[in-house]
Amino acid sequence: MDFNITPKVMLDTIGLDEVVEFAENPEPRCPCVLLLDTSGSMQGEAIEALNQGLLSLKDELNNNSLASRRVEVAIITFDSNVNVVQDFVTADQFNPPILTGQGLTNMGAGIHKALDIIQERKAQYRANGIAYYRPWVFMITDGEPQGELDHTIEQATQRLQTDEANKRVAFFTVGVENANMSRLSQIAVRTPLKLKGLNFVEMFVWLSASMSAVSHSKVEEQVALPPIGWGTV
Amino acid sequence: MDTSKQIPHWRVLAASVCGTSHLKNQQLCQDAHHFSILPDNILVAAVADGAGSAKLGKVGAMIATETVIDYLSIQGITQRTLADDNLVRSLLMEAMLAAYKAVEEEAIACNKKPQDLASTLIITIATPLMAAVAQIGDGLAVAKDTMGNLIALTLPDFGEYINETIFLVTPGALDTAQVRLWREAIVNVGVLTDGLQMLAMNMSVRAPHKPFFFPLFDFVASAEDKTMAKEQLVRFLRSDRITQRTDDDLTLIIAALSN
Repeated sequence: MDFNITPKVMLDTIGLDEVVEFAENPEPRCPCVLLLDTSGSMQGEAIEALNQGLLSLKDELNNNSLASRRVEVAIITFDSNVNVVQDFVTADQFNPPILTGQGLTNMGAGIHKALDIIQERKAQYRANGIAYYRPWVFMITDGEPQGELDHTIEQATQRLQTDEANKRVAFFTVGVENANMSRLSQIAVRTPLKLKGLNFVEMFVWLSASMSAVSHSKVEEQVALPPIGWGTV
Repeated sequence: MDTSKQIPHWRVLAASVCGTSHLKNQQLCQDAHHFSILPDNILVAAVADGAGSAKLGKVGAMIATETVIDYLSIQGITQRTLADDNLVRSLLMEAMLAAYKAVEEEAIACNKKPQDLASTLIITIATPLMAAVAQIGDGLAVAKDTMGNLIALTLPDFGEYINETIFLVTPGALDTAQVRLWREAIVNVGVLTDGLQMLAMNMSVRAPHKPFFFPLFDFVASAEDKTMAKEQLVRFLRSDRITQRTDDDLTLIIAALSN
């Protein structure tokens, strides 16, 4: 009888979680580029709502401890220029910029830049042995390409469509207010969504939930996303 | 006492627990496992991880694992027959195929697509002298030899993206299955689904992590009271240390040859 007691007591007092050690691997990363239209027409209410939305994206991602370590956000703005205003950072390090609107709509160059930084980021992940999820680009615009050569836009469109087809990226387009939805659907592979009003906060809450879902789920190909309440197809 | 007459036998502990993210969304645990100890000291074990994107991933995982063990249990396999490499390979592949067919039939019966029952699948056959594994998708199977070496029988199979893997029902999956035969004396076997992958494997060198497996192997080897040991294993899988690092479903089968 007594013989049986000792090992049981041992097992009870020394839990497995005290003796089993874990491998130290870097967190897998879930990169997301926000490709934002900051042209003149966005100035005013729209850009303010967008800035609010970015703050809620940060808060939402940080509510999920795994997502805050796995989701990496980068922000590219496009107007008459294209700027990487935020290079990739994990959500816990993300401090949303305050954006202002001015100039034209260099969307083609913006798309190129987004695909460029994704390619670079993947190379960095691979060089450092970091596993990653399929990158997302979330393009938000209230217009259509403007102030660029047709050739630039065509090239960007073609590259985007090749990258989608080869699963290098999942590219989502959101149109705001007077966005030219039919023009946008010629550029993107996935059907662009129309934002209801300036409901950026709800949209970014959704984006956070989707990225959180992606960052811990396993899928065959398509990402199963939460229902969209903030927009329409 | 003459200990030389004691024949070592398999001691097995297995558990699947629901990941915290699934608990939060009130989803079922999508993992399943099944195992059996057959005559002649043959252990057969299977784990499966239902795809998050599949509506009936859990059902697919359960059917796959149960079918595999049912199939292997009635083949009358012995250590002698397992000495034939070709036979082992065909046993594993036939078991995979049986699982695939069972999942497909269930899909038809439920008026669903096989993709709705998508899951990974790892099948292991182990004797004191060999281990053989077939695997589709991610997850990991390891063995420890008598010298204390930890052998990666299989490695997780994912593509460029860590969350995109192949499943039993993926067209052509059976042709790409990893199949591995290991013919050395072994003392332990461990099989797990991808939820534990990042904790149990050093990803940069793609090798299983000894300090993860060895204490677990010691634990199962000395587990006299199976019920209590299983409770402890479940407690471990639900411990804060684990849930802080992974919110996925977790499945672990650990086995030890002991006297």
